Formats: sequence, structure tokens, C-alpha cells
Amino acid sequence: MTEAVQNVSQPQIQVENLNLWYGEKQALKNVSMQIPKNSITALIGPSGCGKSTFIRCLNRMNDLIKDCRIEGRVLTEGKDIYGPNIDVVDLRKKVGMVFQKPNPFPMSIYDNVAYGPRIHGANRKDLDGIVEQALRSAAIWNEISDRLKSPALSLSGGQQQRLCIARTLAVKPKIILFDEPTSALDPISTSRIEDLIINLKKDYTIVIVTHNMQQAARISDYTGFFLMGELIEFGQTRQIFQNPREKSTEDYITGRFG
Amino acid sequence: MELDAKVSESGDKAIRVKGGLSMRFNAKISEKIAFALLGLSALTVVGFVLVILGYIIYNGYSAINIGFLTEMPRLMMTEGGIYPAIVGTIYLIIGSMSIALPMGIMAAVYLNEYAGETRTTWLIEMAINNLAGTPSVVFGLFGLALFVKYFGFGSSLLSSSLTLALLILPVIIRSTEEALITVPKEYRESSLALGVSKWQTIRHVVLPAAIPGIITGSVLSIGRVAGETAPILFTGVAYFLPRLPDSIYSQFMALPYHLFVLATAGTNIEKTRPIQYGTALVLLLIVLGLNLVAVLIRRHYRNKLKI
Amino acid sequence: MLSRNYREKTIEWALFLVSALTVVILLLICLFLFRDGLLLFKDTSLMDFLTGKFWYPTSINRQFGLLPLFFGSLIVTAGAILFAVPLGIASAIYISEIADPKVADFLKPFIEILAGVPSVVFGFFGLVVLVPIIQHSFNLPTGQTALTGSIMLGIMALPTIITISEDAISSVPSTLEQGSLALGATKWQTIYRVVVPAALSGISAGVMLGIGRAIGETMTLMMVTGNTAVIPSFPGGFLAPVRTMTATIALEMGEVPQGSTHFHALFAVGSVLFIITLLVNLIADSIKKRYKFKVD
Ligand SMILES: Nc1ncnc2c1ncn2[C@@H]1O[C@H](COP(=O)(O)OP(=O)(O)OP(=O)(O)O)[C@@H](O)[C@H]1O
Ligand SMILES: [Mg+2]
Repeated sequence: MTEAVQNVSQPQIQVENLNLWYGEKQALKNVSMQIPKNSITALIGPSGCGKSTFIRCLNRMNDLIKDCRIEGRVLTEGKDIYGPNIDVVDLRKKVGMVFQKPNPFPMSIYDNVAYGPRIHGANRKDLDGIVEQALRSAAIWNEISDRLKSPALSLSGGQQQRLCIARTLAVKPKIILFDEPTSALDPISTSRIEDLIINLKKDYTIVIVTHNMQQAARISDYTGFFLMGELIEFGQTRQIFQNPREKSTEDYITGRFG
Repeated sequence: MELDAKVSESGDKAIRVKGGLSMRFNAKISEKIAFALLGLSALTVVGFVLVILGYIIYNGYSAINIGFLTEMPRLMMTEGGIYPAIVGTIYLIIGSMSIALPMGIMAAVYLNEYAGETRTTWLIEMAINNLAGTPSVVFGLFGLALFVKYFGFGSSLLSSSLTLALLILPVIIRSTEEALITVPKEYRESSLALGVSKWQTIRHVVLPAAIPGIITGSVLSIGRVAGETAPILFTGVAYFLPRLPDSIYSQFMALPYHLFVLATAGTNIEKTRPIQYGTALVLLLIVLGLNLVAVLIRRHYRNKLKI
Repeated sequence: MLSRNYREKTIEWALFLVSALTVVILLLICLFLFRDGLLLFKDTSLMDFLTGKFWYPTSINRQFGLLPLFFGSLIVTAGAILFAVPLGIASAIYISEIADPKVADFLKPFIEILAGVPSVVFGFFGLVVLVPIIQHSFNLPTGQTALTGSIMLGIMALPTIITISEDAISSVPSTLEQGSLALGATKWQTIYRVVVPAALSGISAGVMLGIGRAIGETMTLMMVTGNTAVIPSFPGGFLAPVRTMTATIALEMGEVPQGSTHFHALFAVGSVLFIITLLVNLIADSIKKRYKFKVD
């Protein structure tokens, strides 16, 4: 399993024997994975198999859930994010996250993007530049540059999702996690966001959960297949889709279950 | 029809015995009667409101004019205005709200955003429920014992404001909690995911989103402060003062007590009826006005969020 | 990073302390109420207080018997509940189940207004309108009676009963209702066989809170019940003046010398009142808990 990524010198994210329990129920079982820098990794699998749970381990969002217990290690740039000297707030600055449902704050477009930098102490005179840069990177600047002061909730669903991406970019993370970012959107908005994600690859390491096989095949470099809390197979996307090693992977990809 | 019989199996013999079409018919008729009675009940409640409001407005509006609102009472309160009572009530509102509002919001934020399901939390919830259910006259006794006597604030604006603050504290906590609950959890998550700390998330995202609800709740508790009499009865309100209170240690007049005194113990109850109606109307208008403001605020913010 | 964590912790602690203050306040209320209340028993025995039939605080042969005040509160509250509960529950059913949503939206503000009207205004209205009506229709020497108090108090308890019952009724899952309707039951059969039973514990919580509010009401009763401290007979007592515990405190506290036996007696009455409402609220609370469990 690891041979597929052997050629990469230092993985951006390294997961070792990760186990997670919600109360008594084990949701992740012994998951190990190495995610290379500046790549897109897609996570697929049937509903309830633990994809969201896994991705939320990477920026410690599961800390918010009561009686959630985690064992194992997650290293970014060689440092265990569950280690003793880790500040979760700082970690989340480095590991951004975009959620399934577009969820801009009830503020203006500008304030949404400026929200993170402002709180992290960005200089006021730099703010306009940061906002513009983030909106450009999220490929939404041209559509909304003339109405930055209007409420973010007035945008369409697809625009809102790109705004949320811009909001994440403005904090300048190194890794961005996407949890089914297009499942609530129409096909046109979806393909825009796919293009955007491919574009972001050169500057960021990306992990994306998706239910859409074509999407995974189109945009990702690596794919991981989860089933009932276990990582069944992980490798280069082309290999997973054309020549899966495991029977269950093949069944899932060809639509025989899930 | 068979199905119908099954449902009524559990009781109602009349329906079961007849069966068939007539059963259906009877059920329909009893439904008609029941609905009519229920509607009548709701109408009765509305009737109470209309009669009470109508009566006070009808009798009170002729007493109200600029002089009534801005002049001092004269001739043992049988003539003149209610200015000092209005001012006293406003001072009470300012005093008690400036204590209860920050405290209430802080407590609600703790309970809704931080508190786990511990014994301590349970104890706090319990205390709030019981404070909310404690009669206002008991708050009056407590204010007398603690603020007037023990702390030595005397019979004063300060003692009364503190007492009223305790009275509305649970109201403000509850309404703020309700407002916080309606803030979507996604707002919190996405702010935290941007590397923003918990307190900053609350301060910059959660509280602003909850503001309409918080304001609505506070406006309604202002109405409560304006109307309460029992808690100020022994903590600072005065029967008659020819001047305005000049410090927080002064006694003061207040609208509800003024109405009470004129209606039950004034020097000339019959002669001062117009002043009583006028005072009742002013009090009612303040409370209804605040209700209206609360509704408008809610609507304003709802529209603003919708755009 | 350290200073931020430090600040976060400090803020959490500050917020915790403020909310814990509510517990402190409740304890202080107990402490100060009971402290002054207990001093009564230097002069009067607890038994004499709890079972005394006469409240003569100022006569030479003074007596501090709670019973007339207790039964005064009881009869007025009972009368209020007797008419406010059916009326309130019926209105709640109408608003949440039968009325067109537009009509319901029209009705609700009236209930909010009723909840907002200050008790002195209710008292004033009762005094100038209801008291003469009662006096004339029953041909009484005075219209300030327990019945007058019950009626005003019932109207005042309506918003509490209606709002909480309505919440309870609306939170009955609609699948339950649809299940019954699908079996061919009429809407009314569904309401009284399925919906109301399912909402019963929520409704009872509303009734308990309504009772709590009624027992603690002061100003209205002081203005319309005549304030005569005698043990009311039943049912004739409804047409005679009574005096409640709350009214006694409010009426007499202004005139007693602080620290006197009479002063302590009023605190003792306040303590009894506090304990009663505490119990009523605890019952309402436990009912509500059970009902939440059921909805899950
Ligand atoms: N907060 C929680 N508490 C308890 N169990 C949870 C919690 N969140 C998720 N689970 C359980 O953990 C398992 C994995 O859930 P997860 O949300 O990670 O699945 P998923 O692969 O993202 O599914 P989907 O494709 O539907 O989003 C599921 O069985 C779910 O019921
Ligand atoms: Mg998921």
C-alpha cells in the first residue's frame, strides 16, 4: 500500500495507526496514510464509513465532539498534531477546512474574507490586498468585485462556496480539507469549483471527500477508499480506478454497492 | 369505515355502537361542536385583552397631555402631572438593565457555549429556574434584607435597581440562551476552522448573530421592570416626592406604585380617577410600545438576513 | 500562543463565575429570608405559626397564625386555576392544531400582550370594573372578594398556560398525527386521543408554572380581594373578602418597625411562600424533564 507513494520524500501529512471512538462505537480502525505535498487526495467510500470523521481528525475538529476518543498519530511536517505542545488554534490556521454546505457568516462579502486575517492581526492597510488576492485565487473576484459590501448571503450557492474557499485562503493555510464541497451545488458551479481546486494544488496540499466517482477520478492524484472505518486501499488515482487491488474497491467504484 | 371503527375501539362507546355511515356523521358533528368550543375559548382570551386595553385606553386618553407628562403632582397629588414617576421608572430601567444585561448575557454564554453536562451546570440551571419562579414580593423582602439593611444602601434607587436586576436576571439569561441556540453550529465550526479561538468566535460571530434575539429579550424585560411594584415597595419607592431623585441613594417615585397609591390609598380616590386612568395608560403604552419595538427588531433583522 | 490560551481560560472562568452567581443569589435569598423568618420563633412557636387560625399582628393579644393567609392564597389560586386551565388548554389546542396559520399568527400577539400587562394595571382594572360588577350581581356588601381575585388571577395565568401548552402540543411529532388521520380518524378524534395525551406532561408543566405564578402574585390581589384575614369557608368563601400571603407581606411590611416580631412574622410568611413556589417549580421541572425524554 505504501509503495505507491514511496517516491515522495517527505509527506505533508502522515497518519499512523489512527483509531477513533465515538463513545463505545469505533468509527476509525487503524488508519495509516501518507499524503504528499502539493497533491490532491480524494477520499471515497459509502455513507457512514468514516470519511468525514477522518478528515476532521486532520485539523482536530473532532475535539469539539463530546466523548470522542482518538489514538494514533497524525504528523504534519513531521510534528504530531495530537502531541503535547500543539496549539489547536494555530494548527487550524495551517490546516483550513471547507464544509459541505456553503456557510458564509451573516456579514458582507468583504468582511467574510477579512474575518480571519483581521482576528489574526493583519495590518489594516494590507487587508484590501489580502481580500482581493483571496477572492482572485478562489476565482470569484470578477463576479463580485463591484459589490464587496453587499451581504454574503445574497450570493448564489456556488458563489457562496467559492467565497468560503476564499475565506479559508485568506488565512494562508498550507493544507486545505474539503468535505464534499460540491454535493449541494449544481453541475456548473461544481465544475467551476473542481477547476479551482486543481488550480490550488500548486500552492496547497488538498484532501477532498467526495461521493462523486467522476470527480475523484478527474481531479485527484491519490485516492483512498474507506469501508466501515477502515482504509481498504490507498494509491494513485489512476491505479485505484483502473486496477484496484481489492475486490470491495472495485465493487464500489463500479457502482455495485454503496 | 372499518378503519374508523378500529380507531375508536379504545373508547367512545357512542361511536362504536352505531357504526357505518351514521357513525361517520356523528364524528363529524362532534368535531364541529368541539372546534366551535375551542375557537370560542381562544376568542374569549382575545376578548379579555381587548376589553382591558379598550377600557383603559378609552378612559385614559383624555387625561394624557403634555402637562400630564411633564409636570409635578400638585395639591397632595390630586392635580398636576406624573413627571417624577415617569423619570423614576426610567431611572429604574437604566439601573437594573445595566446590571442584569451584562450579567445575563455572560451567564447565558457560559451555559450555552462552555458548560458541559456536569453537576455544577445542573445546579446553575436549577438555580435559574427557581429564581425565575420566585414571587416578586419575595424579591422585595430579599432586597430589603440584603441591600437596604445589610449593605446599608437604605431605601434608595440603588437598592430597588439591584432588586429588580435580580428579578429579571433569569429572564435575560433564558432569552439570551434561546437566541444563542438558534445560531447555526456551522458558523462556530467554520470560524474555528479558520484558526480563530473559541472566545473570539463567540465574540465576533456567535454574539453578533444572536443580537436580534438578545435585544428582543431585553426589551421585554424592560417592560417587566417598568411594571413591577412589589419588589420596589420596601426597597426605595416613595409615596410622594416633590423633586426628582438626585443620587442613587435617593428615594424615587415610579409609575406602577403611583397608580397603586392613587387607586387604593390616595387622599381622594374618586377625584383622582382621571389621573389614575392616565397613569395606567402611560404604563400600558410603555409596555405595549416595548413589545412593538421587540417585534419590529425581530422583523428588521429577519429581513436583513434574508436578502 | 501562551498568552492567548491564558486569556481564553480567564474569560471562561469569568463567565463561569457570573453564572455561578445565580446559585449564590438563590442561596442568599434562602439565607436572608430564613434568618429573619426564624427569629419569629423566639416569640411564637413554629406550631402556633403553622396552625394558628388568627392573624392579629397589631392587637394587644397579638397572634401570628398562618392559616387564614395560607387558605386565602389557596382559595384564590384554586379558583383561578379552575377556570384558567380549561380555557388556556382549549385556546392552546385551537391555536396550534385547528386555526389557520394566519389566524394563529393574528392571535399570538394578544397572548404576548396579556403576558406583558403589569399586575398593577390588572389590579386597577379589577378594582374599577370587576369589583362593582361582582358586588351588584351577587348583591354583596363589597365586591372585593376571593372570586374577584380568582378571575383576575386566572386571566393573568392564561399566557403562561397557553404558551407552554402550545409548545408541548406543537412538539408532538406530526407522524403520530398523520398515522391516526390515515386510519380514518377525524381531526378532532386525533387531537383528543393522540395529540393531547402525547402532550400531556408538557401541558401539566405549563399548568404547574401557571399555579406558581398565581401563588406569587401580589399587587392585583392586594387591590381586589379586600384583604380580610379570615379563614375562608368553602364554597361560600369565594364571595367574601380574603387575604393572601403575598398581600399580607406587601400591605404590612411598610408599616412595621424593622426588627420587631411582626417584621419577622412577615419574613416567615415570605419563607413559606418561597418554599411553596420552590416546590411547585421543582415539580414543573421534573414533569418537563420526563416530557423531553418522551419526545426523544
Ligand atoms: N458526533 C458523532 N457521534 C457519534 N457517532 C458519530 C458522530 N459523527 C459520526 N458518527 C458515526 O461515525 C460513523 C462515521 O461517520 P462519518 O460522518 O465520518 O461518515 P461519512 O463517511 O462522512 O458519511 P457521509 O458520506 O454520509 O458523509 C457513522 O456511523 C456515524 O454514525
Ligand atoms: Mg460525511
